[in-house]
Amino acid sequence: MNRSIAAAAGETVFRDTYQPRSLRNSMFKVMVTMPAVLILALMVFIVVQVLFNGARALNLEFLIAEQRPFGEPGGGVVQAIVGTLMLIVIATLLSFPLALLGALFLHLESGRRSARILEGAINMLQGIPSIVVGVVVYRWIVVPMKSFSALAGGAALAIIMLPLLVGMMREALRLVPASYMEAALALGAPRWRAVAGIIVPAARSGIIEALGLGIARAAGETAPLMFTAFGNPFLSVSLRGPVAALPLVIYEYIKSPYDDWHQKAWGAAFLLMVFVLSLNLVISARKNHIR
Amino acid sequence: MKRSARIAIVAMFAAMLFGIAGTAGAQTLLGAGASFPAPVYTKMFDAYNKATGVKVNYQAIGSSGGLKNIQDKVVDFGGSDSFVKDSDMGKYSAPIVHVPTVLGAVVIVYNLPGNPPLRLTGEVIANIYLGKITKWNDKAIADLNPGIKLPAMDIVQVYRSDGSGTTFNFTAYLSAVSPEWKQVVGNANSVQWPVGQGAAQNAGVAGMVRQIPGAIGYVELAYARQNNMPVATIRNAAGNWIEPNLSSISAAAAGAFPADTRILLMNTDAREGYPISALTWLIVYREQSYGNRTREQAKALVDLLWWMIHDGQAYAEPLDYAKLPAPAVKAAEAIIKSITWKGEPLLK
Repeated sequence: MNRSIAAAAGETVFRDTYQPRSLRNSMFKVMVTMPAVLILALMVFIVVQVLFNGARALNLEFLIAEQRPFGEPGGGVVQAIVGTLMLIVIATLLSFPLALLGALFLHLESGRRSARILEGAINMLQGIPSIVVGVVVYRWIVVPMKSFSALAGGAALAIIMLPLLVGMMREALRLVPASYMEAALALGAPRWRAVAGIIVPAARSGIIEALGLGIARAAGETAPLMFTAFGNPFLSVSLRGPVAALPLVIYEYIKSPYDDWHQKAWGAAFLLMVFVLSLNLVISARKNHIR
Repeated sequence: MKRSARIAIVAMFAAMLFGIAGTAGAQTLLGAGASFPAPVYTKMFDAYNKATGVKVNYQAIGSSGGLKNIQDKVVDFGGSDSFVKDSDMGKYSAPIVHVPTVLGAVVIVYNLPGNPPLRLTGEVIANIYLGKITKWNDKAIADLNPGIKLPAMDIVQVYRSDGSGTTFNFTAYLSAVSPEWKQVVGNANSVQWPVGQGAAQNAGVAGMVRQIPGAIGYVELAYARQNNMPVATIRNAAGNWIEPNLSSISAAAAGAFPADTRILLMNTDAREGYPISALTWLIVYREQSYGNRTREQAKALVDLLWWMIHDGQAYAEPLDYAKLPAPAVKAAEAIIKSITWKGEPLLK
């Protein structure tokens, strides 16, 4: 008797609290889903806006011709396409080896004082505003070389990429089970061989992914290039001379008063975005393939 | 996939190496500075490239930026439409010369419904930029423009955010016509603006004025013309209403020229002269043998300068810049001939 009363009471309590709890639950679900949808929508809107506006600027001349004088319609951005590719290659050559060795150091020495110092330094490097990187490279490379140059622009981008690469490559190295290293050492491999022959190849896909994301980030940087690569209306492939870059062209064109240049700025944004998105796609396709 | 990627990378390096070798042959020159003459410079350099194969890269970063770059010796020439004052010569490690190139006008552009033609005086412009006149239908503006219906819109003053020779000439004019402006704001490449919004370079100011209804700005005439923007007619020192155009700019420069061509052309007493006219210069070192420069580089530079004050002048008028008057060309010739390589003149 008592028991059934208690059970009935429990049931009432349950019934009384179920609905509000269920309501709260669905409210919370909406609360977390909405931002997710919003973020997705934001991404889609940006992509659609750039693709829609940019596609109208695209034609053969846009891709293969050089810049026209101020206010003259026509011309293209070939100088910026080539410039951006050059800057990326230079930045990658400068930052990749350094970043890989740095990440290995952090991985192998993790927990030690020296690794903590390096980690702090890398975090600080990541926090430096990109415009400051541009100014510093101007002092370090442009002024001594007596010229703005692709080299200086690539160096500035390398500094931007470096902390990103180290961080992501370190994560990639961390994912390699410790037993791999132990097994290699147990078989009599010297430490350098265990690292170069086992750890790094095992982390390869993560390392390449890091490189892809680093390049995607560097490709869109404008500020570090303003006092280094400087821009160029002509197609130039000289390392020691100034070169154009897609973000610089977007920056110059979008604040100009010329409608034709506004259109071309969207076109340049289109190219940059397609490049970055396809880089991401290739990397994720590769990753899935390997796994 | 892997192989083709490798081939692509190798091909790219080959292209770059080839490029280094290739560009050693093609002469290139680098300049930076004033955006005031950028439309005519980029046009001249495009023509010069077609005629001679020499590629001149001019970046319109603003006069102050151009002067800084020539101080740092990272460009072949700086562009400026404010001349270097005697007191600033100490910032240059060696003597510099000013080569005048074209004349232009700082014009007042605006963005109003229907864009009616407007008349403004220097004093009214000063009061607008001082923030004392805030509405387009203010009595001070209405009195100058009888018969024109002015909207009750707020005025949005647009100014240059970067160090600029255009700003220098504009504020020099306002200082000359408004004692209050001279005292409160003054005259420099960059000043503390009491009100308004900043935009970078002439192109940026023109772009911003086009985008904001009720905006007013100051740019070189070419930017206004290229974008079909309305331009205010201004009362000059002689009391005449003057529209900025080729003849009124030339008229302002009809007087004598000093040998070093460092002269302000604003508010001259020429009867038909536009009051905010300005010369623009290229700034180069008199002795060209410095840093890691070659004699070929120096020779290419003086050849370019010589071309610009002669054949290049043909590109000025189609873009609404005035050609250099004959006395200025004569002075410029003497200046270019004074440029040397290890003490020897580069042009005989």
